Amino acid sequence: MTDEHLDRMVRDADPYRPDVITHLDGAAQTLLEEIMSTPTLEPAAEPPGTQSRRRVVSRLASASVAAAVLAVVLGVSVVNSDQPGGGGASPGTGATSSGATGPVSYSAMVLKAAEESPRLLIDQPGWKATTVYGFAEEEGTIAFRNEERELAMNWYPAGQYDGYRQDRLHVSKPEPVKVDGWAGELFRYSASDFAVMLRPRDGSFVELRTGGDWTRDEFDRVLAHVVRVDARTWLAALPAEIVTPGRVDEQAAKVLADVPLPPGFDAAALGTLGTNDAYQFGARVTSRVGCGWIAEWLRAKQAGDDAALKRAGDALRSSHSWKVLHQMNDEGDWPEVFWETADKVAAGESFAGYRDALGCE
Amino acid sequence: MSSGTEHEDRFRRVYAANFEPLLAYAMRRVEQPEDAADVVAETFLVAWRRSREMPPEPEVRLWLHGVARRVLANHHRGGLRRGRLGERLRQRLRAAVTVDPGSEVPERLTMQAALARLGELDREVLTLTFWEGLEPREVATVLHVSPAAVRTRLSRARARLRDLVGDDLGPPGHVLDVMAAQAPEEGR
Repeated sequence: MTDEHLDRMVRDADPYRPDVITHLDGAAQTLLEEIMSTPTLEPAAEPPGTQSRRRVVSRLASASVAAAVLAVVLGVSVVNSDQPGGGGASPGTGATSSGATGPVSYSAMVLKAAEESPRLLIDQPGWKATTVYGFAEEEGTIAFRNEERELAMNWYPAGQYDGYRQDRLHVSKPEPVKVDGWAGELFRYSASDFAVMLRPRDGSFVELRTGGDWTRDEFDRVLAHVVRVDARTWLAALPAEIVTPGRVDEQAAKVLADVPLPPGFDAAALGTLGTNDAYQFGARVTSRVGCGWIAEWLRAKQAGDDAALKRAGDALRSSHSWKVLHQMNDEGDWPEVFWETADKVAAGESFAGYRDALGCE
Repeated sequence: MSSGTEHEDRFRRVYAANFEPLLAYAMRRVEQPEDAADVVAETFLVAWRRSREMPPEPEVRLWLHGVARRVLANHHRGGLRRGRLGERLRQRLRAAVTVDPGSEVPERLTMQAALARLGELDREVLTLTFWEGLEPREVATVLHVSPAAVRTRLSRARARLRDLVGDDLGPPGHVLDVMAAQAPEEGR
């Protein structure tokens, strides 16, 4: 079969039927008017769902987002000052079904970052944190899931509160509510979709947003169980799948088990990555490994060090068998982009854009 | 003319020029035709709200495709809510599209099934090229990869697709598993 034949078959397999456009009876115009009747406020453009945010981040592979994120994270120097006392008491079951046992130490930076985040948990059985991202930054997301229902908590700098609120006022009339004694407003997107914006405190504000089918009664009941906890409790309450600073060493050992490390790779520095779910953690760790090997490849090339050049090339090519990338492949595009970049460099084909692609510092 | 009106006029132009391409894009990639309404509504809503980020008009279609791709991925993960917008469009799509599976040409189904079995990026490179009619440079913009990567991937995707359909398209009338035409991994 020639390329032309194959291409024609693909074209012929197009499932779209253009005549559908003639049967819309003005629905396209109606949608246009509906959209243009919503506010255009820029800050609200961020879709509130954590999934979409996470997706964007999981595509950090191909965007400069990665570099910015890593720069923010790495801009903070870490002192691994062990704190006595450890994990603290869990406030309940549910979201607090921690896999961590025994006292856990957190660095001063991690505790400070936790202090600056909203640290809200759902103190009710069945809820589990599934997505955590941006813990070491001004904005972040933590999403809890209980079977089909999800409650995402997104936090933003306090300075953006007014803008977001203006936007939400177009969603519905606000209804005053309290979450763990703190004032907020409830907005109703539909009979099964709600959001609560809490008033800013300590430099940020939180918006809680439902995902899946909720009733108002269910939402009220869950809201009554949202509690604010101290930094140690919050960290200790995250489930075992979430890579908290206390679990970085263990998870890093798993991620790096079959990964060759570039010269000068500092596994101890991974403690600066904050709290992430496994995907984000894997992306950040392999980013550092990949960037390290590419830097080594370029150095060896310039120095005419053939043995080192071969070693770096082999290491980059070996990424196709790294277990962590295969585990991540179902969740996002990071592995694809990693392999593509690594292959190009190892083949001596192209280095342009590798920093953006892999989020190298 | 106030800047608000200019802004609105521009959005109307962008909408008029891109509604059908985006509807087609969405309908090609959702299981139920009416779900395309949610994807189109959310995509244009993002565009309306982020219109300051919208590139100049020659590039805006690609930008919209990039937005739609993320919206669609969210849809496939069950993360896209049925919004307040687009209800009428949803109803019309449901009514307008009645597919009679018996009327489908087996060759088309074979090809759709084979496409569904490709990796997501391979499939996107092929479908953006042959269904959306984008150039490699344009596909690269939508997928946030380099044009060179698109060309490489296109040739690899063709080879894989050829392997997948090679046997099945041998003797005419070969019956395939139609259900495989929509793979769950589509949104990855």
